[in-house]
Amino acid sequence: MKVAGKYSDVELLAAIREEQDLNKAILYLYQQYAVPTSSFIIQYGGSEQDADDVFQETVISFIDVVKKGRYRMEASIKTFLVSVARNIWFNELKKRERSGYREKLFEHGRDQQEADISFQISDLEKRRQLRELVHQLGEPCKKILMLYYYENLSMKEIVDHLPYENEQVVRNKKYKCLQSLTGLIKGNPVIARQISEITK
Amino acid sequence: MEQYQALIDHLDKSLQGEGSPEMEQMLVNDPEIAREWNYLLLAVDAIQEAGLEEQVATIKNDWKAQQAAAVKPTGGIVRRISRNMAKIAAILVLVAGGAAFYKYATISSGSLYDKYYSSYELNTSRGAAEEGAIEKAYHAKDWKAVLAGVNTAKRDNKMDFLAGMADLELKKYNDAIEHFEQVIAVNAQSGSDYFQDEAQYYLAISWLAKDKVNEALPILEKIRANKDHLFHDKVAKMSFFDLRLVQYKESK
Repeated sequence: MKVAGKYSDVELLAAIREEQDLNKAILYLYQQYAVPTSSFIIQYGGSEQDADDVFQETVISFIDVVKKGRYRMEASIKTFLVSVARNIWFNELKKRERSGYREKLFEHGRDQQEADISFQISDLEKRRQLRELVHQLGEPCKKILMLYYYENLSMKEIVDHLPYENEQVVRNKKYKCLQSLTGLIKGNPVIARQISEITK
Repeated sequence: MEQYQALIDHLDKSLQGEGSPEMEQMLVNDPEIAREWNYLLLAVDAIQEAGLEEQVATIKNDWKAQQAAAVKPTGGIVRRISRNMAKIAAILVLVAGGAAFYKYATISSGSLYDKYYSSYELNTSRGAAEEGAIEKAYHAKDWKAVLAGVNTAKRDNKMDFLAGMADLELKKYNDAIEHFEQVIAVNAQSGSDYFQDEAQYYLAISWLAKDKVNEALPILEKIRANKDHLFHDKVAKMSFFDLRLVQYKESK
């Protein structure tokens, strides 16, 4: 199997923060931590698909926290990931109303070293909903916005990637897509309420 | 419409560090514009989240495909070997297997730690009076006094390193790791290398003490690959076969 470069915790955090070959860092996270985390989820009533989804969500949260400079090196990365996965699964069980496993999971957590992830959990649901709104945009809009705001491509580079005539057409399209997305966000009651509270 | 376009322009320029001060002022003074601005920031957050989700999902699928390929039987040619050759091979396998079994049964991160740990010889005596006292305590192997001294001394890499060594001697491995990682993190932030090599080596040794060869191995490999590293010669003499064997054993 292709092995991602090996990292110490400090090196891995630097690679993510500075986006030095982020793909390799993600692959390393999977190679090192996916199996133990998945076993844990399966042990607490999850299917393989659940474990798969929970770990993916865990990796996204972890990268998000590191990129935003909110990761404090109080625990090892492994401890942090397991804590996040545990909480994601705990919330999922709550949604599915499977209290038996939830209690066991809670008991398990009391014996384990825990990372402080309160800040991460608080906006987990909001971030999920935001992603969902982007998917509702439709493929052309999603593509153009991702190329510009995630891949950081210039208008000129986007013209090379997508079937648009020139930069001005791309600029107009991007404007409309962003407007559609903010429209969807405004229409989402949970998120709109949070914005109102911020700008009160 | 024009105002919205101006906000988007400001957003795009701000992301490149070139936002306009006039617009910044408007955002402070006009709550309605500030509200639209927050929605735009949230939209960018949403796009970046969705982008990251796609990137992670792609890597996950690659990883799963690699895993599936790794366990897939590849088939092969069954070779014919003579009966005598088979006997010799069987004996060799038994002998090698016995030796390997013994090694496998007895080896651990802890045994490697016992094998490779040696105290750090502090041979500097420069610095302030309090540093002198800490160094004196270190030379006297009075680890508790080292830790007490560090607690009241001005914090720097040397203090953290000595505290890490004192913790290591007292078998407080988590605390030692925390101090060594602190040295590395400070150097990573400041771009310096004060006590960097020492911290890296003893961080790896601390991980071995904690039976975490997976954490130790990448650091040791990095040291082995760097001929200028202070501990290169020491690490080059280590058995990486043993380290990998422990890694395999501890992953079971």
